[in-house]
This record gives sequence, C-alpha cells and structure tokens, in this order.
Amino acid sequence: MADVATATAQTSQPGIPAGHGPVTRPNMTAVGTMVWLASELMFFAGLFAMYFTIRSVAPELWTKNTEVLNVPYALANTLVLVISSVWCQLGVFKAEQGVPFRTGKLLQLGQWGMREWYVLTYIFGSVFVAGQVMEYSELVHEGIRLDSDAYGSMFYLTTGFHGLHVTGGLLAFLLIIGRTFTSRRYTHHQATGAIVTSYYWHFVDVVWIALFATIYLLQ
Amino acid sequence: MKVEYKLFAILCVFCFGVGIWYGIWTGWEEPVGVVGLFLTGGLCAMIGGFVWWTARKLGPRPDDDPQGNISDVEGDYGFFSPHSWWPFFLGLSGAVVFLGLAVGWWLVIIGMPLLAISAVGWVFEYFRGENAI
Repeated sequence: MADVATATAQTSQPGIPAGHGPVTRPNMTAVGTMVWLASELMFFAGLFAMYFTIRSVAPELWTKNTEVLNVPYALANTLVLVISSVWCQLGVFKAEQGVPFRTGKLLQLGQWGMREWYVLTYIFGSVFVAGQVMEYSELVHEGIRLDSDAYGSMFYLTTGFHGLHVTGGLLAFLLIIGRTFTSRRYTHHQATGAIVTSYYWHFVDVVWIALFATIYLLQ
Repeated sequence: MKVEYKLFAILCVFCFGVGIWYGIWTGWEEPVGVVGLFLTGGLCAMIGGFVWWTARKLGPRPDDDPQGNISDVEGDYGFFSPHSWWPFFLGLSGAVVFLGLAVGWWLVIIGMPLLAISAVGWVFEYFRGENAI
C-alpha cells in the first residue's frame, strides 16, 4: 500500500483548498472505494476457493492441462499490466499536484499531466486484454474450452472475470480522462476520481499477480 | 482513527488465526475454508491498512478526542448530488443488460447503448463547463 496515493480531506467549494475546511476528515470517496475493493477481494476469494477445490479433487485434469499453458507468454503479459500500474501511479501524482494535462511538448515526459499518463495506462491495459484474448484463442485450439472439462471452466472463469474487471477499469479511465476535457477547472473532486480509479487499477493488478502465481507458477 | 484501524487489525489477526486453526483441523485438505478465512483476513487488512495510512496523513480528528463535542465536527462534508435521474436510468439499463444474459443476446445489444448513455450522463452530470464541482 505504500506506493498508492490518497486524497486528503476536501470541501465542495472549489475555492477552499484541501485540508482547509473546518475539520480535516478522511475522503469519503476514497474510504468507500477501499471498502468496496475489500468486498471485491471476497468475490475473488470465491474464485480462488473454486480453483483449489477442483484441483484437490481432480489432480489428473491439472497434469493433463497445465502443460499446454504458455508461461513465458503469460509472464510477459503480466509485466505489461504491472508496468501499467506504474504509469497509473505517475498520473496520480500529477492529479494530486492538480496538473490535468501536459504543459510541455508531447515528448517532454516530465511535463506530462494526469491525462497523458492515464492514456499510456489505458494503452498498456488494452494490450493486456488483447494478450488475454490471444491466449484464449491459443488454448481453445489446444482443446481447453469453457465446457471441455473442470479445468477449462476454472481457467476461463477466473481469468475471464479478471479480464472483465480490467475492461471495466479501462472504461473508468476513459470517463476520468473525459472529465478533464468537459470541465473548466481541475477540481479536487476530479483528482479524487482519478485517485480512486488508480486504487481500483492497483487492486486488479495485485489480483492478477495472485492469479498468475496460482495458475501459471503453482499450477 | 486509532479505534477504527485497531478494530480491523484485531479482526485480521482473528481471521488468520482461525484460518490456520481450520487448516490444521481439516489436515489442510479442505481448501475453501482456508482460502475464505485467509482472504477475509485480507479484507480486514485492506480496510484497516488504508485507515491507518490515512490516519497518519490526517492526524487526530475531533471524533478521536474523548473530550470532544458534537459541534466540533461541523462543516463541509463534501459534495452530494441534490437531485439526479441518472442513477435511475443507469440501474434500469443495467437491468436490461443483465436480463439479456438470461433472455438472449439481442436484449444485451439493445441494453448496451442505453447503459453507455446513462453511465456517461451520470459521470459527467456535475463535471461540465464553468459550474463543474
């Protein structure tokens, strides 16, 4: 948790900077997002429980199917997602500084704002999803399908639900980027939106690392 | 915010403790309980850790002062939409999409544009032009 950022207390009046209201209190949006993400962890707990249960009752399916998995490919795809989290965090730092878009040229990375970093995050995230789709098509050719056996069901349900989460995160990035175009000022509410979206993105990233370790490394 | 994060820390330790106990009890052969209990501990760690980390940045609130008065926490709590139809349309179009998963894909195709319009309307309602919050 050390590398993610928070939004501090804020007021609804844009003129009053954060932390200068009558009382400093935790940002409700940020706390609410974390509570919701904790409940998301329970959703994935169900998927992990399913994985380990089927693995313990049908180990022969694992010996048959795991040798088809392309571990180096999945590792490369994992790296793409992890790196996207780094770009996302750089965008958060800019959002916290109140820099919605770049102040320099396109190639002056230091002058980038939240928008540019989030677009880069978006690109990396979509490469990950595209990589997942490619992998699915490979595995279907190898005979692992959603309805082929319990291993196939497990594989597509766990990675598929994660992929849906990543896709939802990509849509959230679009909305957050879009807001920087429609409103006149970059307010604390906008920065809060950017920051809680980054919480979600980091969460989905960590869940993928756990899924990758379980499905590809532990097998 | 000491009380809050201590509460979640206790729950976290409890869940991990019970998870280990459950594992030994079942000879580590029943994974659902172990995974469920450990990740419930993770749930508590996530919320408790976040509260602890926020508390470090904010310092004590009036709520943390045993001698504090209710009037100490007055002031601005944030922005709350006074009135909006968008959540209703968002819920309605979401229901159409999920109904489509049961009824047939044609209904999903009809629901998706509605869902997109209401999501955009909901997200952008207070983030337009001069009067953006």
